[in-house]
Amino acid sequence: MSTQTDNTSNTPSNAPSPKKGATGWVILAFFVIGFGFSLLGGWVGFPNMLYKEVPHPIDFNHALHMDLVFDGCNSCHYFRADGSFSGAPTLNECRDCHQFVMGTDPNEEKFVEEYVLQDKEVPWNIFAKQPDNVYFSHAPHVKGAGMDCAACHGDIGTSESLRPYQENRITGYSRDIWGWEMSRLGEPKYAPRMKMMDCVNCHVEQTDSKGSCFQCHK
Amino acid sequence: MKIDRRCFLSLAGGLAVGHLLTPIPWKITDDIAIWTQNWPWTPVPETGPVTWKNTVCTLCAGGCGIKVRTIRDRAIKIEGRTDHPVNKGSLCPLGYASLQYLYGPSRVKTPMRRTGERGSGQFEAISWDEAISEVSGKLDALRKNGRAHTLACISGSDKGTVPVLFKRFLDAYGSPNFIRTPSGRDAHEIAAYLAQGHKDKNIGFDLENATFILSFGCGLLDGSGAPGYQFNAYSRFDKGRTLVQVEPRLSNTAARAKKWLPAKPGTEGALALGVAHVIVKNGLYDADFINGYAFGFEDWTDEGGNIHMGFKSLVNEYTPQKVSAITGLDANAIESLARDFARAEKPVAVCGYNECKPSANIDKTLAVHALNALVGNINQAGGMIVFADPEYAVSEVRKDRIATEGTAKPRADMAGTDRYPQSRYLLDLLPEVLMGANENNLPVQALMVTGANPVYTTENSETARAAFAKIPFIVSFSSFMDETAKLADIILPDHHFLEGYRDVPAPDGVGKAVTSLSAPVVKPQYDTRNTGDVIIDIARSLGGTIGESFPWKDYDTFLKQAFKEHYRDLSRNGYVIHAEKPLPWDRAFATENGKYAFYPTRRHAAGTDDKSRLPAYRELDIPGDKANGTLALIPYKSPRIAAGAVANPPFMTKTIDANVLKKEMLFIQINPETARGLNLRQGDTAVIRTPAGEARVRVNLFDGVMPGIVAMPAGLGHTAFSKFIADKGVNVNALLKPSADPAYGLNAAWGVRASLQKA
Amino acid sequence: MEKLPSHTKARHFGMVIDLDKCTGCASCMVACYSENNVSFRDEESIKLLSINWIQVYKITNGKPFPDTEVCYLPQPCMQCDGKDFGHPPCVSVCPAVATDFDTPTGIVSQIPVRCFGCRYCMAACPYHARKFNWWDPVWPADMERYLSPDVSPRMRGVIEKCTFCYHRFQRARQQAYYKGDAENIKEADYQTACTQACPSGAITFGDMDNPDHAVYTLKKSRYAFRLLERLGTQPSVYYLSTRKWVHRACDNYLEHEEPAAFAGKSA
Repeated sequence: MSTQTDNTSNTPSNAPSPKKGATGWVILAFFVIGFGFSLLGGWVGFPNMLYKEVPHPIDFNHALHMDLVFDGCNSCHYFRADGSFSGAPTLNECRDCHQFVMGTDPNEEKFVEEYVLQDKEVPWNIFAKQPDNVYFSHAPHVKGAGMDCAACHGDIGTSESLRPYQENRITGYSRDIWGWEMSRLGEPKYAPRMKMMDCVNCHVEQTDSKGSCFQCHK
Repeated sequence: MKIDRRCFLSLAGGLAVGHLLTPIPWKITDDIAIWTQNWPWTPVPETGPVTWKNTVCTLCAGGCGIKVRTIRDRAIKIEGRTDHPVNKGSLCPLGYASLQYLYGPSRVKTPMRRTGERGSGQFEAISWDEAISEVSGKLDALRKNGRAHTLACISGSDKGTVPVLFKRFLDAYGSPNFIRTPSGRDAHEIAAYLAQGHKDKNIGFDLENATFILSFGCGLLDGSGAPGYQFNAYSRFDKGRTLVQVEPRLSNTAARAKKWLPAKPGTEGALALGVAHVIVKNGLYDADFINGYAFGFEDWTDEGGNIHMGFKSLVNEYTPQKVSAITGLDANAIESLARDFARAEKPVAVCGYNECKPSANIDKTLAVHALNALVGNINQAGGMIVFADPEYAVSEVRKDRIATEGTAKPRADMAGTDRYPQSRYLLDLLPEVLMGANENNLPVQALMVTGANPVYTTENSETARAAFAKIPFIVSFSSFMDETAKLADIILPDHHFLEGYRDVPAPDGVGKAVTSLSAPVVKPQYDTRNTGDVIIDIARSLGGTIGESFPWKDYDTFLKQAFKEHYRDLSRNGYVIHAEKPLPWDRAFATENGKYAFYPTRRHAAGTDDKSRLPAYRELDIPGDKANGTLALIPYKSPRIAAGAVANPPFMTKTIDANVLKKEMLFIQINPETARGLNLRQGDTAVIRTPAGEARVRVNLFDGVMPGIVAMPAGLGHTAFSKFIADKGVNVNALLKPSADPAYGLNAAWGVRASLQKA
Repeated sequence: MEKLPSHTKARHFGMVIDLDKCTGCASCMVACYSENNVSFRDEESIKLLSINWIQVYKITNGKPFPDTEVCYLPQPCMQCDGKDFGHPPCVSVCPAVATDFDTPTGIVSQIPVRCFGCRYCMAACPYHARKFNWWDPVWPADMERYLSPDVSPRMRGVIEKCTFCYHRFQRARQQAYYKGDAENIKEADYQTACTQACPSGAITFGDMDNPDHAVYTLKKSRYAFRLLERLGTQPSVYYLSTRKWVHRACDNYLEHEEPAAFAGKSA
């Protein structure tokens, strides 16, 4: 600003007034506009550009199934004898019950017709999917630390409809990993976040150690 | 209000400052980092439930039990099966790498018909129906032309149900020409026939229980023979047990032996007689066995009153001093070897099997058998064991007139003819026969090849290739694009062993009667079919008595029927032990007098005197003349190089040392002393010449090779399979040359004369 | 609130290789390739470019025929403890924290995706145990089907090395947790692929701090030694040999020096 003042004062007074520059307020206004635009774009526009909504192949009703099975979550998501965890059921497991359409739900009809009868695995959207270099085992968490499913997966087990799934266009992973709140502040919208720092924070809180690389990576 | 560039600068500043307070830079940096960790071309293996499935490896005849880790129809990893009686968990590198064959680039994925020049490797995919009708059409025409006997089959084995189906096919079709590829079994079969009167029985060695193994050149730890069995027996070696290795080169076996005796090659028989001499002279033999169950040990008189020399008199002249002069070993070493051997609790002498080059020296084999007889270690725990395979429950083959006449004709390889009456298969002689015949008179007009790769494995392989190429119609049943398949007119690809059923007979040299079952672990990956099914289909489409001889729905049905009551155990456990104990001495021998014949009266010998029947030491000359070749080339087996019908998978080639194979150049091993004489240094390029051919090689100096010997690894120099093994090094078979035993026709040469010249 | 254990109890895994038993067959190498998704190329004879997590070397006593002797020396990553149990040479130089010392097991980790390929660790390792991916691995034909999900396939530009099959430890631990006793991992529950593959039983593996494990006794043998032991890298891999020349070949002894096992003996 001082430079400008100097320039002005150096101009001979009898000369026609040169083009007068913008005042400090105008410049500030531009700064604020830019600043505001960035904030708006970064917090509102950017997430919408970064993530794309991916429809679920089947709108799965967990609550309905929970009423029908005997062993809660374990009925379909279970530990195998070697301690590994089955994750999302395969078509063969679903087929144990759904050989034919049993109810009136259009989703079930779609499932049977498009997948069971055509012997095609359902391309489920996995909210908690992690990169290949991450080693995660359910056994130490569930059997060792006694955590329940909801502790990491939220209340999906009681939901009647699947929550929306958004995929990161750059990484291909679910929005749930970073968390729906771009700031990563406050209570997570659907389920706890699953970035490495989230694992670390919980481990430090619970065990006083974040562990070494090999504990969670391969 | 003026708007100038400063406003825009300010706007940019606002944008810049503002965006730092948004997630954009931080989130994008993080996401890009994750993006770079997940290139689409870096595979992410799928997870799933893990299952382990038991089966048997059939990449060699070793018959190792394996278990396969699978995830959703994907075979992930192979490991040795610890509860399998043959290998008890031990497995060789080929077994560990066999998934590379299942999913690898050398698989033949559909039936193929040759389109280009023979051997050009140009094929077109055809359907199974088309392929089978083309084969049966050709065979039908050949038969109608009255040349049924000119169909031949070369098989890697003559045991097991698939070779049995091929033999049966030839029988019904009308040809005597079922030919097994040469193996260490040849000489043992003949020795067992001459000394014990057995035909078509297995001769094994109970290495697990032996306390002193005297190995005459067996590559027990070099990956040949039944590697899993041999490695496992060695793994149980504790302090009280001894392995002595007789061999001109410090092999992996010799390196791990308690004593390495580098006898001159070809003189092993003399050493065995020298050991026998010391045992006999000092009365260290098993008198119970010699007096009660043996014949021809002492001099004997025949019905005509003629006195014959016994084994005792024969060995009398093989003093340690004389044997020392023959073998180049120290006389005291021979003396103490004999004493240690005879005094060991369970000594066993082995030879023949799993030598890199199965030189069928009948004298040596008889002498080694005699050593085991001397110490009474035949059909005993820790000794030489003779046992039969289980008999298959198969009906008699139906023959029409053509079949009866055809099968009575002399064999194309001259085995079983007046010239070589006691030999069964003489594949080594076939190339010369074929080369000598003109196109119309060719004794083999059609050839089927199963479980073998004779174009690569036959000695003097370039001649063999040219000879086989003369055969008008060649059908290969190989799963892989090997050298023989490449030469074929039609390829009818078999399953990989992890895709179908196959019985696995007791491996040669293994001291127990185990038959195993190889069972499917994954679904067939490609449009291949079990060779058993295919041969049944070909027989059916030929019809008549041939079709009638193959009444089974499919191969699996035949397999179940053939094993009768054993099949349940076979499929449940993966193996059956069909004879728990070998026969006791009073019932063990099928000779005329029921005794072990130290004097083999039945021997078809070149001469009629006693010494030509007894296993005397005879100096064997190897092919080539001494004037041009001052050196002798011997092949050696490395556990890291598959030397049989199947070539190295990429993982095994990866393990080969850089002084064995570097880029496309193979290294021969010679003693530094030999190298000095030839003005050769480590790494030099040289040309090796033998009567069979010449090749450019590089030189690796190794003190562990006897001076005057050139040792070359077997199993390299392939021209087929895939780029991972083709055109690397030299095929040692292209430089070797068989030389026929005058009475048996088997290849008795231990090497070939060679010259080496700096290039 | 009572804290949960950060890890199952501390162990110190190590390996003892009997050089008088090793036959040089390379089953360990191939089993390792197969277990750990190690890549391969059609040209593997330039060994500086070849990726091996365990390599079997051949050494000789240098004597002329027929007194020549051969010894095969399988060499995985030595999993050095380094100074003060936690500072192996490679870990100290890594600028990316792509490798660290896993204190609860004594295993040196390597996380390939974290590595940016500076190869300092390769230079720091006196055993050539670390290998660099000069090319993107390619599994021809349908060979991707045999890849194991337990070990992440690598990419171009990163270092990889032997991990003592850490994923097998994870597998054993997972099963122990599942069975309700996280501490109960027996010797047989966790064995490396090479140990299991050795057809002649030359390799022994286990917790060197646990008297019930075979390695505990074996490493105390008079004939036990470590490769280049006097560098102070504190390897977790021990070798056994009753042959003096083998001991001599495995460290830089001066003319007058005797390997410890033979000191004062005329062997």
